[in-house]
Amino acid sequence: MLTVALPKGRIAEETLEIFENIFGEQFKFDDRKLILETTDFRFLLVRNQDVATYVFHQAADIGVVGLDTIEEQGLDVIRLLDLRRGICKVSIGMRKGEKLDLTKPEIKVATKMVNITKRYFSERAVAADIIKLYGSIELAPLVGLADMIVDIVETGTTMKQNGLEVVEDIMESSTYLIANKNSYHEKKSEVLDIYEKINKVVKG
Amino acid sequence: MIFEHEIPTGSRLYFGSAARKKREIEGIASDILHENGFEEIVTPLFSYHQHQSISDERELIRVNDSKNYQVSLRADSTIDVVRIIDKRLGRNTVHKKWFYIQPVYRYPSAEQYQVGAEYIGESNVANVLDQAIKIVDRLRLKPLLQISNINIPKVLAETLDLSLDDFRHINIEKFLSLKIDWLDRLVYLQHESQIDEVMEMVPDAIKTELQKMKELSAELAYDNTVLAPLYYAKMLYYDELFFRMIEGNEVYARGGRYKNDEVSSVGFAIYTDTLIERLEK
Repeated sequence: MLTVALPKGRIAEETLEIFENIFGEQFKFDDRKLILETTDFRFLLVRNQDVATYVFHQAADIGVVGLDTIEEQGLDVIRLLDLRRGICKVSIGMRKGEKLDLTKPEIKVATKMVNITKRYFSERAVAADIIKLYGSIELAPLVGLADMIVDIVETGTTMKQNGLEVVEDIMESSTYLIANKNSYHEKKSEVLDIYEKINKVVKG
Repeated sequence: MIFEHEIPTGSRLYFGSAARKKREIEGIASDILHENGFEEIVTPLFSYHQHQSISDERELIRVNDSKNYQVSLRADSTIDVVRIIDKRLGRNTVHKKWFYIQPVYRYPSAEQYQVGAEYIGESNVANVLDQAIKIVDRLRLKPLLQISNINIPKVLAETLDLSLDDFRHINIEKFLSLKIDWLDRLVYLQHESQIDEVMEMVPDAIKTELQKMKELSAELAYDNTVLAPLYYAKMLYYDELFFRMIEGNEVYARGGRYKNDEVSSVGFAIYTDTLIERLEK
């Protein structure tokens, strides 16, 4: 029996569709239930940012989560498979017409993703003042809270609507199947079996 | 502000039954190791040489001695035990089998109680691993024993388009994307019964290393064993066969073969705190 952590929302639906495809049966959470038990799997519905935490602590053996979230959290889990879904970028956005100038003595960056941002600027030896926000990131440059933002960009529409544009991409992200390191060794045949089956669907 | 009831994060506090479990674990370990010819050693808490065994020096808790030389709190017992026996006690003893029961400390305030054994000048890992098995067995635990060989990831990283980081992160997609039949089989290898078939396919350099894993597994006859030939962990000193004892998400023990001044030795450490937590459940 494998326990699978899924993030609430679209990714959970897409992943359960993949499982339905593979096993030819319906996987559906009952209204407001957070656990779904089937013969071979136990699915947990958790918050996106918590998936890797559940897997890292082995409350789940495997999970599905965006690469950006894994990179941001830096937890030691196995990245088994790129599911090639939920494709997006983590990008730097500035007010339309402004250019990215890393030689400025003081750069203020607003973001939800503090660690990815910190890593990006420190690798370029730029002393950036990083301001953690929890939402409406696009607002920060408009009201002078920050010179730029680092945020997830799917189509770029939200930035455009707020008078911002992407000036640089930091990383590409998509959803990944991840596994706990001990579960991988303890339940290797089960983990690799589901890896193979999902891989076929993804690549098919 | 620090409240009166606070203790630093990572420090240990045992009382009542947990403290008794700690004594019990240490008592069992000490009985078994004594019965099997190991002598106890207690090494100084302060050390001049810890940076040799800790890959990230920032993990050391550092102070200074009377002449302002840097001293750190013991963060790893193995290297100090081996160095003291070789360099300081060399004239007083020829004994090769030693054990210690003492904590290690990491920055900023992490404490970890350990029981460890070192067999100096010995290269067969089975000769210490069987002691670790006896200890967990007497504690009525049956963790999964994972046997690995660090030379396999090293050889593969040198000969194929793979890096040691691919092994550290268990990058299955990359391993399988190389479309090498024997490498796929190494990914899937888990049990001793599968190893002969894989050995027939792999290059000679890998075959030799797999043979060592097979022999160790066969010699121990511990029925909860898995072989993990592609497992690689960032460790400063293991240079060939090494093992972990795991249950759920916890690691109970870790050990293997290492070299010190061209002398091969084998040893292990048992993590007492993890065992106390398990036995208290």
